[in-house]
Amino acid sequence: MVALALALLLSTLPSPDVACEGSTDAGETFPTCFDPGTGWVLGTALHVQDEEAALLLRTGILLRVVRTSNSKGDSSWFDSHRLFMTEARGGTHEALTFTGYDGLLRRHVDEGSLLVSFGRPVRIPFPFDVAMSLRAAHLERRVWEGPGWTLETGRVGLLLDPVRTNTEWGWLAVGPAANHTLRHDRDGTQHEVSPFTSLLLDTGWETRDGRWALRATGLVGWAFDFDGGSHFRARGEVALEHVLLAVNDAPVSLRLAATGVRGDAGLARRDEAMLSAGLMVRPFGER
Amino acid sequence: MLVSAVTLGCALLFGQVEMPEAEVPPVTTEAPPEAPPDAPVKALVEALVQPRAQAAPDTWAFQMAVPDADSPRQSPDERVLCLNLPSTPAVPSGQWRAQCDEPKKECQVAPAWELDSEGHETGNPLDRVSMCLDVMPAEMARAYRLVPAIAEAPPGWYRDERGRVLQYNFDLHRRVRVGGAWAPRWLRETEGRDDRVRVDFGVDLEWPGDPGQLHRMTLLDTELYLGDASSFEATLLRYDFRSERDEPLFRVTTFYGKPRRFDVFANLGFWLEVLHAEQVRREDVKADFLTLGSTHATLDLWHSRDLVSYVRVRAGPTVERDRTNDFLTLVPAAALEGDLTVDRDGFHHVLFGVEAQKVLLAERVEGRPLRPERLRLRAGYEVIALAINDQPVSLTLDGRGTWRDDLANAPAGWEWSAQAGLRFSLWAPARRDAPGAQGGKE
Repeated sequence: MVALALALLLSTLPSPDVACEGSTDAGETFPTCFDPGTGWVLGTALHVQDEEAALLLRTGILLRVVRTSNSKGDSSWFDSHRLFMTEARGGTHEALTFTGYDGLLRRHVDEGSLLVSFGRPVRIPFPFDVAMSLRAAHLERRVWEGPGWTLETGRVGLLLDPVRTNTEWGWLAVGPAANHTLRHDRDGTQHEVSPFTSLLLDTGWETRDGRWALRATGLVGWAFDFDGGSHFRARGEVALEHVLLAVNDAPVSLRLAATGVRGDAGLARRDEAMLSAGLMVRPFGER
Repeated sequence: MLVSAVTLGCALLFGQVEMPEAEVPPVTTEAPPEAPPDAPVKALVEALVQPRAQAAPDTWAFQMAVPDADSPRQSPDERVLCLNLPSTPAVPSGQWRAQCDEPKKECQVAPAWELDSEGHETGNPLDRVSMCLDVMPAEMARAYRLVPAIAEAPPGWYRDERGRVLQYNFDLHRRVRVGGAWAPRWLRETEGRDDRVRVDFGVDLEWPGDPGQLHRMTLLDTELYLGDASSFEATLLRYDFRSERDEPLFRVTTFYGKPRRFDVFANLGFWLEVLHAEQVRREDVKADFLTLGSTHATLDLWHSRDLVSYVRVRAGPTVERDRTNDFLTLVPAAALEGDLTVDRDGFHHVLFGVEAQKVLLAERVEGRPLRPERLRLRAGYEVIALAINDQPVSLTLDGRGTWRDDLANAPAGWEWSAQAGLRFSLWAPARRDAPGAQGGKE
């Protein structure tokens, strides 16, 4: 399904000479291209879980930086930062999710290579870009589950990107990830780690004018308690955004998202499936 | 007029018999396209007179004709010269006002005095004309073609062929008004009718501020209801400020098809009322309310380019004194209202409004809710029927409805009133955007 969506999105790519500026009859100009990875997100959505609908509010700051590597002349960094992302859900499944920082730092090189230094150095072509996924301070508080919370103090993923695009509009990063999580309930606080025993996927594609954006993330693997025991978990999310219009040059988007969790939702490590559809505005989101 | 002109023409024709060498200038043989029916006769008169003037430069016997209803009109924006022409039976003083077109070598000439119904000069100078400071020399006048014309009139005014002016454009937002109306009232609860008449008075002021701003003030707005259940309503001062923003509040961009931008303007304003007194009577119940001050914000949903007409929403708090029960209350209110001047000349006016009020912080009063409410509806139409000495007299039609439960020991419910009357307005100058007579009354 993700591949199909990516293919569809690829087919919507406009020509490289896409115009990012419209003009009024009076000659004033306005932006027509947007950066889905930049801006202050303010959104609301209808959130459906266990056949119950509830209101969801979402906010956070997105920042995307493209820069040329200072130390490596033929490489570029495409960094996407998501700061203070907060989701609050109402209804019977009242919950709050907060992420202090979530970022994907992807380094693209024009000609990827591996250097084998045993004996005479050999340069072997390497058909991947490398990327690093970082997440810190991810808090989940589920009121409907009673007292307690889950805090992922940090997560790091070392990823490879076989697509190797030299733009920020598309990426496919996959690789092992490690994380540390605290689970606090009435009985106390438990530590849980996944020492690179999980596989992380982060992929996305956007049209050059930024009006369509698809992002999919996934995590599957094992996590281990400090006091013994392991847990298999899997989590995936797909989100599609489409800019409907712009108000004061801030894009207003329709956002459709689907999330599936196996053995990783909340303190009770539930299985869950969620759908949401809503609108969001992203001030300062013009390209 | 035609007979006299023909007679005069014949007399002058006979007078030319002794001068067969006189040439008739081509210009005088052609009647202008807009010439009146007797224009050829006048042109002939001019043609016959001018050669004699050329033959004897010291004595110019030119006879200038007076204008008629179809004559061209002088422009209020161009310079006027005083012109002395030979005396004529219609204009014995020989005093005229001229506006000349240099390239065409043509002057539009109007008598400097009003004419009587017979077309003869009276002793009344023209009203509302600019003073002519420069005199056009007679030698210069001889070199021009002189066309009878009607003197200029200021914008919003019309001058007839006799030189009299009358106002045909009125600004009813600048006036002192006095009116009366038949204003019966129906109470739904009693199903009876109160026969009342309304006497109203008020001073309306309006002035523009910076470009895109308009100030409006009403002083001593008073309505007295006499007859069954006499009552009154009066406001000492009402002030209203409206503006048009150059910068849109929202710019909405759409991307389907060619990207387009739609600008959404939010034209905010301010509304203030000071000392509004209202006496309410329903059968045996009487209540007095005194508004100490109201401050509302307004948002224009639509307004005309000159800001005079609008449809807007208005909301804000009011501090009110319940004089019957002797305590202060806070009355937040919200209204949707419109004030439309429908036509260019300010003859037709439409008013409408819906206002909801909630009385808060009131003390408990036996026989009424703790937080009473009021809902007021109003629709009105005013049309200028005639003007007496340039002061308009208008017909007013009003429909009003009020629902309220703020009267102790009186049932909550609606009262309706239909009102029809006349209103006399003093001052009422021409509107600021009144057109000149050339594009106006004609």
